[in-house]
Amino acid sequence: MFHWLEKHPFFFAVGIFVTIAFAGLVEILPNFAQASRPVIGTAPYSTLELAGRHVYIKNSCNACHSQLVRPFKSETDRYGHYSLSGEYAYDRPFLWGSKRTGPDLMRVGNYRTTDWHENHMKSPSGVVPGSIMPAYTWMFKNKADINTAYAEQLTVSQFFSTPYNKPVPMKDGSTKIVKMGASTAEANALALAEAKVIAADMKDQDVKDAVANGQIPEIVALIAYMNSLK
Amino acid sequence: MNKLYLGGIIFTALMLLFTYMSVSGSEGGLHGDIVNMLAVAGAVALIIITVFVVIKYVRQMQTDTADGQLADEKWDGIGEYLNELPMGWAIMFFLLIVWGMWYFTVGYPLNAYSQIGEYNEDTAAHNTKFEAEYASITGDRLVEMGESVFLAECKVCHGINADGIEGKAANLNKRIEAKSVKLVIANGSNNKLLGVEMPMPDRNGLFNANTSALISDAEIDTVASFVANGMTGAGADVFAGVCASCHGSDGKGVDSVAPNIASFTPALVANVLAHGKKGAIGEMPKFDRLNAKQKEAVGAYITNLSK
Amino acid sequence: MENRPLEYDYTVAKMFMFTTIALGIVGMLIGVILAFELAFPGVNTILGQGLAEFTNYSRLRPLHTDAVIFGFTLSGIWATWYYVGQRVLKVSMAESGFLMFIGKLHFVLYMVVVVAVVASLFLGITTSKEYAEFEWPIDIAVVVVWVLFGVSIFGLIGIRREKSLYISIWYYIATFLGIAMLYLFNNMEIPTMLATNAAGESGIGNWWHSVSMYAGTNDALVEWWYGHNAVAFGFTVPIVAMIYYFLPKESGQAIYSYKLSLLSFWGLMFVYLWAGGHHLLYSTVPDWMQTMGSIFSVILILPSWGSAINMLLTMKGEWQQVAASPLIKFMVLGSTFYMFSTLEGPIQAIKSVNAIAHFTDWIVGHVHDGTLGWVGFMIMAALYHMAPRVFKREIYSKSLMVSQFWIQTLGVVLYFTSMWIAGITQGMMWRAHDEFGNLAYSFIDTVTVLHPYYAIRGVGGLLYLVGFLMFAYNIYKTMSARPVEESELQNASPMGA
Ligand code: HEC
Ligand code: HEC
Ligand code: HEC
Ligand code: HEM
Ligand code: HEM
Ligand SMILES: [Ca+2]
Ligand SMILES: [Ca+2]
Ligand SMILES: [Cu+2]
Repeated sequence: MFHWLEKHPFFFAVGIFVTIAFAGLVEILPNFAQASRPVIGTAPYSTLELAGRHVYIKNSCNACHSQLVRPFKSETDRYGHYSLSGEYAYDRPFLWGSKRTGPDLMRVGNYRTTDWHENHMKSPSGVVPGSIMPAYTWMFKNKADINTAYAEQLTVSQFFSTPYNKPVPMKDGSTKIVKMGASTAEANALALAEAKVIAADMKDQDVKDAVANGQIPEIVALIAYMNSLK
Repeated sequence: MNKLYLGGIIFTALMLLFTYMSVSGSEGGLHGDIVNMLAVAGAVALIIITVFVVIKYVRQMQTDTADGQLADEKWDGIGEYLNELPMGWAIMFFLLIVWGMWYFTVGYPLNAYSQIGEYNEDTAAHNTKFEAEYASITGDRLVEMGESVFLAECKVCHGINADGIEGKAANLNKRIEAKSVKLVIANGSNNKLLGVEMPMPDRNGLFNANTSALISDAEIDTVASFVANGMTGAGADVFAGVCASCHGSDGKGVDSVAPNIASFTPALVANVLAHGKKGAIGEMPKFDRLNAKQKEAVGAYITNLSK
Repeated sequence: MENRPLEYDYTVAKMFMFTTIALGIVGMLIGVILAFELAFPGVNTILGQGLAEFTNYSRLRPLHTDAVIFGFTLSGIWATWYYVGQRVLKVSMAESGFLMFIGKLHFVLYMVVVVAVVASLFLGITTSKEYAEFEWPIDIAVVVVWVLFGVSIFGLIGIRREKSLYISIWYYIATFLGIAMLYLFNNMEIPTMLATNAAGESGIGNWWHSVSMYAGTNDALVEWWYGHNAVAFGFTVPIVAMIYYFLPKESGQAIYSYKLSLLSFWGLMFVYLWAGGHHLLYSTVPDWMQTMGSIFSVILILPSWGSAINMLLTMKGEWQQVAASPLIKFMVLGSTFYMFSTLEGPIQAIKSVNAIAHFTDWIVGHVHDGTLGWVGFMIMAALYHMAPRVFKREIYSKSLMVSQFWIQTLGVVLYFTSMWIAGITQGMMWRAHDEFGNLAYSFIDTVTVLHPYYAIRGVGGLLYLVGFLMFAYNIYKTMSARPVEESELQNASPMGA
């Protein structure tokens, strides 16, 4: 049979294809139905948080940081509760990472704060002696891209029914509504309102001035995102 | 002995030495931890198997000769022998396939393995073990334990010497700084330092009993440095007139009324860890994931620091 | 008639040889920079604070992986395809104007994609998925390039004289099909410019931005089904295609066993795809899928080793060739590293071992004993073998090649031993609890201990890069070396002193 295949390239190729496609069908498809359901307490990202997520991706923070707490005592001690599938329901793309050159950030919002991030992103080794993380000084100047974040919110709510402007259940039994603007102007206004809260806890004068002038530096969006990781 | 084997043995020994170094580098060695042991066993197996299997084939290059029946075809001059499968390889392949099918159909389902189940067991075992040990920890041992918590969890913000890294977080070697006191007096404070919501009024609620007037700017300055200097120096009168009613004449606090601002207490630290704190320096997060004993210990450590 | 040699046309092969070398230098140089950035963070700002946005570790890392995988390795795969394909199918590209055109178009479009990728990654335009960073406009270009590759393969097969397909061709076909399937499914994404808001605005934000069709755990599943098999069909399958041609050809030996070739091939095809779960151990993926990943990883040792053993046995009794020829040394040591990494991988895929190894430098060590020791060595060996035949000149310097071999071997050994220690040390430190049951180390403690190992890795990487530059120089000089006769090119490649 194999000799025959080796003389008939078309069937040979079909043979290979069937052999390799089979595993994908069995392994991947079954999970699709169940894994995308959010657990209670998981809400979609706000416009500013999403813009911050884009900053995170743009700078490949995931090259050094994971977002996946494995079920080991040592990890739950260090980072908090182990990860649950449903917590990632709104993560497109997922950001689990594959290398922990730096610590896991899945729940960093629980144990680091705005001012700490500000100091740290400006000079990691100034806060943590011996840190090998690069300083991200340009984030204090570059402006976050709110429009693209807004476009992404629209896309996921239209194509995947991500519940914006709808109540989502929280752990304490309450509900939360994550707002999405009806126009780009409104989206920018929503993001700015959030940015002001963050900037109030920051010390960098240029950042504060920028936000007061209606602009949002990348660092503000990034911190909003990191604070949302809980 | 053949040079090859010697080389292989030296190489293997070196890699094992490195592995040993890594294990001891992590302090405490294997710890009887099954995961650690398996990882090291895997590393050891990897080196030994590869080195000696490769040496076997290199020996064949050195001593054997190629033979067998050639196939009819040639591709760009490359021929092909019709040799049988190497026996060891064929047997291993067959056995592994059988093992895989067995494991998947029988071994795994019967084992009923669940990684979360395993986690729960591990955690329970860990907790039982240390709860037994915690019971007897007090005094210096408790401070020592607190230091270990501090170095693992707190030093990223407060610095290895707990000095707050040039004002980036609170300096825990002293109770409080003048700038923090000033802010609290001017704006009040609402950080659940007593464990429950119990705000301190802002300056519009702070009467000086001595002068029967609201606290003045000058008085704020003096009392702030008085408190920051560890309740010494000028300002004792203001303190007595404005603050002592709640914080006590020595500043050591009054139960359910106001916290100790003369020194750290384990209770205060525990409350800060339970609720976090926002102040003149910045924001301190809460630490739910520490257990009660760990909070007590780190409280003892911090209290001890500024003694 | 049968015996008159065909005039093979290596125009396209030469083009891809050039990009293999150029992108190899770029990719490995960035790798060395990355390595030193981890050892000495000051390197992040080496071109000044102003340019640090583009030179810091995190912006450069995807450039390294994509430059070495989709630049160096892929070019190498294509360079050898456009060489080996003609020869084992016994048909010249010169015989088909169409295929010649497709080949050139393939190269030109590939260059366009390379430029687009470099620009976009420097700007931080990435989807963040490892080895699939490109946004949708580039994805589309990639698909076109890939289709051209497919047309070239099946076109050449269509007009072949050699009726039955040589082993290398099996592997090239599998490379084509595997990557095609994986790439398509992993890159299902929706451009955000398609959305419209309540106010009727559309085309909001960056036009190139997209969101993944899959979320969270599903996205991870698809990504690592892709990622694992991208390794399979990028670093294993096509490289095996190379060794099945170049080793017997250079040494003049016949393949040890057809049966072993056959079982290894089909075994690899069947088993590889199931093993992807080993990238997701202890994640939120269901237990049974993880277990499946571990089991199949262990089974995978055998089909992987099958090819390597077949090659080592092909050299049975030919030790004098191994000793004499640096070209053959590269291939024999390459097979050895292949065996090493395909045993290391399955060991790391065992759940309990992965609990330590995952997220640490031990994985990075595994990656590089595979890529440097196997992929890199094999591609360089292939180009060394091709150069005299393509340029009709002897290899410029054998002694340079010998030094290169030893320098690079030392480089690889330093690389993986340092990462081995670093990974195991860090993995164990993360897990350690002290006598009080508290975490024994804060995260930063587990970073600062790695400094010496990071420095050693940097040196290892630098040595490898130096070796690669020697290789580039040797090939460059070969173009003007002593011309050779057709008859000198039967097996062992002619080499100058
Ligand atoms: C070269 C690797 C590297 C890169 C790239 C990197 N980090 Fe880090 N990161 C580290 C290391 C190492 C630490 C631990 C030492 C420290 O706290 O600085 C760390 C710590 C952190 C922490 C503190 C977490 C904790 O639990 O203490 C945060 C938050 C963080 N990084 C965010 C980021 C963000 C956001 C980016 C991308 C913009 C980023 N990092 C890029 C290496 C990196
Ligand atoms: C009406 C009662 C009251 C009076 C009077 C009062 N305090 Fe307080 N003080 C409190 C309470 C209650 C808290 C805890 C608030 C909290 O939970 O944040 C507090 C907190 C503080 C703190 C914050 C401690 C920390 O760790 O952040 C400082 C400093 C302080 N008081 C200083 C003073 C000084 C100085 C005066 C006099 C000028 C004063 N207080 C007068 C009730 C009072
Ligand atoms: C993310 C940074 C961060 C971490 C981690 C952190 N702290 Fe703090 N901590 C702060 C900051 C900032 C302040 C100062 C708040 C203020 O008063 O402005 C502070 C203040 C404190 C205070 C003084 C509270 C008071 O009433 O004055 C104590 C006690 C304290 N921290 C204990 C700890 C302990 C114990 C840990 C570890 C288990 C810890 N901190 C971890 C940032 C941090
Ligand atoms: C039998 C064959 C192999 C198996 C079973 C295997 C297994 C593994 C495992 C378990 C990981 C680690 C996943 C993690 O914990 O993060 C891994 C990572 C990796 N391996 Fe292999 N491996 C094999 C062969 C190879 C070869 C030959 C190469 C390259 C030449 C290679 C390249 C890689 C790469 C690039 C990664 C990193 C993926 C990432 O970015 O996380 N592997 N492999
Ligand atoms: C000069 C030689 C090289 C050096 C110094 C080097 C260095 C590095 C460094 C520092 C990293 C990042 C590791 C980390 O995250 O901690 C890396 C990642 C990687 N490199 Fe290289 N590299 C070199 C050559 C190559 C080659 C030739 C290839 C492929 C053919 C390759 C493939 C990869 C891959 C796939 C990764 C990602 C690994 C992962 O995510 O686990 N490298 N390299
Ligand atoms: Ca990786
Ligand atoms: Ca893509
Ligand atoms: Cu894999």
